[in-house]
Amino acid sequence: MLKENFKDFFETLKKLGEVHAPVRRGRLFSFTKVDSPGEVALNYNRTMLPPKKYFVKPFEEVLKIKVGKGYELIVEEPKSLVLLGLHACDINALRVLDSVYLDEPQDDYYQVRRAAAIVIGVSCEPDEYCFCKSMGTDYAWTGFDLFLHELGTSYLVRVGSSRGESIIESMSNIIGEPTKEDFIKLRDLELKRSRMFKKILNTSLLPDIVDSLHESEVWVVFSDKCVSCGSCNLVCPTCRCYDVTEKVELNLQEGVRVRRWDSCFIRSHALVAGGLNFRPTRLDRFRHRYNCKSSIDPRTNLPFCVGCGRCSAFCPAGIDHVNVLNAIWGLA
Amino acid sequence: MTGNKIKVGFYSLTGCAGDFLNILNMEDKLLEVFKLLDVVEFALASSKVVHEKVDVAFIEGSVTTQKDLEVLKKIRENCNVLVALGNCAVWGGVQAELTGLDAKDLMKSVYNTTENYYSFLGEHKAVSEVVKVDYELPGCPIEVEEFLELLIDVIRGVIPEFKDYPVCVECKIREIPCLIVERGEACLGPITVGGCKARCPYYNAPCIGCRGPVKEEANVAGELSMLLEKGWKKQEVINRLRLFAARYKDIAKLLER
Ligand code: SF4
Ligand code: SF4
Ligand code: SF4
Ligand code: SF4
Repeated sequence: MLKENFKDFFETLKKLGEVHAPVRRGRLFSFTKVDSPGEVALNYNRTMLPPKKYFVKPFEEVLKIKVGKGYELIVEEPKSLVLLGLHACDINALRVLDSVYLDEPQDDYYQVRRAAAIVIGVSCEPDEYCFCKSMGTDYAWTGFDLFLHELGTSYLVRVGSSRGESIIESMSNIIGEPTKEDFIKLRDLELKRSRMFKKILNTSLLPDIVDSLHESEVWVVFSDKCVSCGSCNLVCPTCRCYDVTEKVELNLQEGVRVRRWDSCFIRSHALVAGGLNFRPTRLDRFRHRYNCKSSIDPRTNLPFCVGCGRCSAFCPAGIDHVNVLNAIWGLA
Repeated sequence: MTGNKIKVGFYSLTGCAGDFLNILNMEDKLLEVFKLLDVVEFALASSKVVHEKVDVAFIEGSVTTQKDLEVLKKIRENCNVLVALGNCAVWGGVQAELTGLDAKDLMKSVYNTTENYYSFLGEHKAVSEVVKVDYELPGCPIEVEEFLELLIDVIRGVIPEFKDYPVCVECKIREIPCLIVERGEACLGPITVGGCKARCPYYNAPCIGCRGPVKEEANVAGELSMLLEKGWKKQEVINRLRLFAARYKDIAKLLER
């Protein structure tokens, strides 16, 4: 697809649903509703919040309560959504979330929104925080409908689903057949990209690193620097913990149950009835996060960290995910 | 309790009365709120002072004078549940910034006398330093939505939930560019308990910690070394830390001379 056809491509997408894409806000980017192709920033580095926010909302009401009488699910009308411009890491992160939220028992709130979302990926270049290549998540094999590989003056459009297939069939006037030269260009660009990664994580032993090197002083050094702000959890595309609370109205008759994103850096995350906390210190929580992110999702065989670099880029204390793990190896 | 109403008192110690003002300001809800309450005393709304027993006592202000101390002890005796509202009652308020300084010197520099006109205790204490407190709602002033949630829980006999996450969590949820990461500002959000929806960072101003530290959790040493690395001077950081939280253990330690 020639870049000059992007406008028409975008207009066609708008007919399929509300289009959301990365938009520049100051120095940062955010997935936001877009009305015109000019607002879309396809050459962004990363958004602060991942696309997860469309499927598990940071804060949402899930039940209506009638005190003493019961409750009623809050069911949302599915709204067609086109998510345009996801990087490979974020697509792989969605696969991890899918495997968690769509496994039995399925999370209906998630399922409805996810089924109504068309995912369109876009190729990217790594910056100083990206390490998806180390994690093997730098390429999206599945988990999207279409993927746009930028080739200078055009995009090579890769199809990832039957829905994607029918979308491009309806666009035959703007998306032509790729040529042999296009594939050669793609190969060259992919090779060039692969050589651009500066952050390399040593991944041997990774799933066992916290257990086997549990006593390393390095954990203490970094957890002393950590201010427990929770940012690394909130920006992570694979963090999936939430907390559930209830709120009752002043009439004392009605209320709602809400769920909101949680963070394992917060005290109440591991607090259980009776006041026992199985991760009482910051050190415990710090190690815990690395343990979680270093393991492998048994359903997709994808790592729980997709190397998007958000936790490093947005940590106020400047704690870099890769530097911590490499330091455990004695590499930094 | 009388009927289905709970008997409550709103008592002021030393503070600006901003917490109670905020409660009285929620005009659209006030009638509904007072339907649930039998208010025996409300310092800001009426000058009536009674020493009645109440189910719940709401207290604002720090324990600063001998009178505060006596009144507070009486309130504790007369109530079942005692709730400290706002930064003054929870942490001693901005006045507690003076923690570590000599009260006599202060008296001298402001009033040019060493006489103790106000039977000042020499420091501004949090309510919990003097009597047992059941619940503490932080804020300078409190957020009324949080007050209502607390009130409803207390009326229903449910253990209230308090936020234990910092302002940064709310920054992230609103996708506010981080003032520390992007601009190296001396933001206290990481150690300050959330609930204001990151009001200041949203308006591009660093958090000055008005909601007080995340209890038992705030990593003061980490915050300090993080800001030193950003080029701030130790004294500049300490001056910020002491503004609303001079009596938090790790900050008080920094203030000891
Ligand atoms: S742990 Fe960090 S790098 Fe890995 S997926 Fe989460 S935010 Fe991205
Ligand atoms: S973002 Fe950094 S400072 Fe905040 S909790 Fe994570 S590691 Fe700690
Ligand atoms: S601006 Fe302040 S409150 Fe917000 S994330 Fe950064 S450090 Fe935390
Ligand atoms: S951002 Fe900080 S200073 Fe501003 S209202 Fe919230 S707690 Fe107070």
